[in-house]
Amino acid sequence: MKKKIGDVFRHLLLVFLAVVWLVPIVWLLATSFSKYTGMNTSTFFPEEWGVANYKNLLFGADSVAQFPNWFWNTFVIACFTCLISTAFVLMVAYATSCMRFKGRKALMNIGVIINLFPGVLAMIAVYFILKSLNLTNSHIGLILVYSASSGLGYLIAKGFLDTVPVSLREAAYLDGASEAKVFFKVVMPMSKLIIVYTVISSFLVPWMDFVYAKMMLNSGVASQWTVAIGLYNMLEKSLINTYFTQFCAGGVIVSIPISILFIIMQKFYVEGVTGGAVKG
Amino acid sequence: MEKSKGKVSAFFSAVGNFFWDFGEAVSKGDLFVKLSLIWMGAGYFRRKQYVKSVLITIFEVLVILYSVLFASQYVPKFGTLGTVKREAVFNPATMKNEINDFDNSFMILLFSLVSFVVWAIFLAMWISNVKRAYELQKMEARGEHINTFMEDVDTYRNENFYKTLLALPVTGVVVFTIVPLLLLILVAFTNYDQQHMPPSELFTWTGLTNFINLFGGGGLTITFGYAFVRVLIWTLVWALFSTFTTYIGGILLSFLINHKRVKGKKLWRTLFMVTIAVPQFVSLLPVRNFFSDGGIVNTICANVGLTDFLRDAGLISTSYIPFLSSPGWAHVMIILINIWVGVPYQMLIATGVLMNLPADQIESARIDGATPTQIFRHITMPYVLFITGPALVTDFVKNINNFNVIYLLTQDVYTTTNQALANSQAKEVDLLVTWLFRLTQEYYNYKMAAVIGIVVFVLCAAFTLIAFNRMTKGDREEVYQ
Repeated sequence: MKKKIGDVFRHLLLVFLAVVWLVPIVWLLATSFSKYTGMNTSTFFPEEWGVANYKNLLFGADSVAQFPNWFWNTFVIACFTCLISTAFVLMVAYATSCMRFKGRKALMNIGVIINLFPGVLAMIAVYFILKSLNLTNSHIGLILVYSASSGLGYLIAKGFLDTVPVSLREAAYLDGASEAKVFFKVVMPMSKLIIVYTVISSFLVPWMDFVYAKMMLNSGVASQWTVAIGLYNMLEKSLINTYFTQFCAGGVIVSIPISILFIIMQKFYVEGVTGGAVKG
Repeated sequence: MEKSKGKVSAFFSAVGNFFWDFGEAVSKGDLFVKLSLIWMGAGYFRRKQYVKSVLITIFEVLVILYSVLFASQYVPKFGTLGTVKREAVFNPATMKNEINDFDNSFMILLFSLVSFVVWAIFLAMWISNVKRAYELQKMEARGEHINTFMEDVDTYRNENFYKTLLALPVTGVVVFTIVPLLLLILVAFTNYDQQHMPPSELFTWTGLTNFINLFGGGGLTITFGYAFVRVLIWTLVWALFSTFTTYIGGILLSFLINHKRVKGKKLWRTLFMVTIAVPQFVSLLPVRNFFSDGGIVNTICANVGLTDFLRDAGLISTSYIPFLSSPGWAHVMIILINIWVGVPYQMLIATGVLMNLPADQIESARIDGATPTQIFRHITMPYVLFITGPALVTDFVKNINNFNVIYLLTQDVYTTTNQALANSQAKEVDLLVTWLFRLTQEYYNYKMAAVIGIVVFVLCAAFTLIAFNRMTKGDREEVYQ
């Protein structure tokens, strides 16, 4: 009997917590399907429902809301970032995990120290440098910002590669395989999990990021923006009353694919993070 | 301590060896090795590595051309950061106003720094080049095989493959992280701000003035010291609370979900994950409006009479609850909202740890007759804390730099009423990083932002070092036991 009460209590607590956690998300969803344009502050659920917000957002682009453009921009940026970052991360992970060379430890320590600087600080200077190269307000600049230093995020991938048995590589060396061949033909095929993790997590960066995009794309040309800045802009004081529900609709559209990717990734995330922790 | 001393001395002896070998190569090398000091390809040429010789010569020529044609315009002005201000001068020949040949302080700073980096790399290559030439001489004397160019290229697929792999990522980090950081560190010692914006104005070196201003010594700019102390305290309070609340909350939640008799574990996990799976600007911006002064939560609170109750109790003086717009309320709300954002993350990590529990230990405990509660208290709990504990430090450092939560929740919504804070463009709810960001993005006060950035780095480095020391101590204890 006591057990049963405990079980019921646990489930009730979970239901309560889940409700608390989901209220803002549900509100976002409900508001996106409302017929209002601005903020509805009187009731939690809208009194009139409709899909006008989605329609306007997707097919009725105006000078403020150019969602299809933003989505496409972010997608292109994400694809390139993903390619470069994944390559960089895997390269650094292999070099530090599977090869032994002079200065390897020193290099890794330097990486740790650099990571201690606030990213925003370096960004300000990067902005100047890109400005002097005329690369601000361009997507190439933003791709570089997202991917150029991505090699520093190699630790999780390294932790994974550390678990690939040395004997496999040694067997390949004995067969006369070059280091490059071992990398491509032996280690990479065994690292599908971590490749998927790296691909998804680097693909998500441009979708999740807000700060760098805001810093880099500051010209005010709405068609160049990414989803994050575009949606943020809709909440400007002068615009919020016209665009708030469209913001919600945009948020929902972006969140669906991103959440799915994130939930696929989290499995690897947990494995990677805890794996790293166990090894110290 | 001994270990780190060993490391330091190892470092110095490595540096010492580097130069010692160089000296030996120069003094004992033959004519071509000595010639390598001037013509980098000489040694290779003598040992019939013609392609390599040509390549390194081209490299040398490029660096020299860079120095003569480009660096020479900027580096000599590095000491003053430019003296000629931009002016429009009337040119009688063309009858037009023309811009004079002005100095751009920022370009001088940037390109001087780039030149220093290029020269440092060149110096290192030059020294190792001479050493390599001497090595080749010795190899030839011993009658050893000297690699052809193709064989040399081949090493980059084999024993030197790491160089191939690391070349691009390291270049990326140098160009996009190290050079910018050095640049900003230099800016901290200048007066680069809105009144000194290139190209129309010059800026120059001011020594430690900015640091003195920030730490409260400045006369007129005393507000920076005032704001700094307040922002710093809030940053630390925030980092402490946000780290511990989400950590404890996450672990408790994972225990709750992973309880043996809880049904639908995956479903629960996914539900909580939705909040972190959604991009933060999508989840936090509505929350900000949710709790705004005229927002829905305020409407509900007014309807149920909570607003009136709080006003009667003297906790608020307005007709709404200032969740995110007055100091005390906003501080508490930000930490609470951060629990909402952070707990699912910690839950995920703790779940991962719970799944890797030492099964044999639990099994033997059960055979010994331990109750589930005892197992939980003496095995599960300590294990989870032991594994995730070190991550607390990383989380703490991450929270010091937690830009998104603060910025998205308070930017454009929170206005400070404290004039002294407003004078230095800070707010009560700012972290050092959001303050830094606003200083650069809205007020172009790069000098102070750079100083704050350095302070943040020192903070993070200090906490990491302390934690690192602790961890190595822990290691040693294990060895002795």
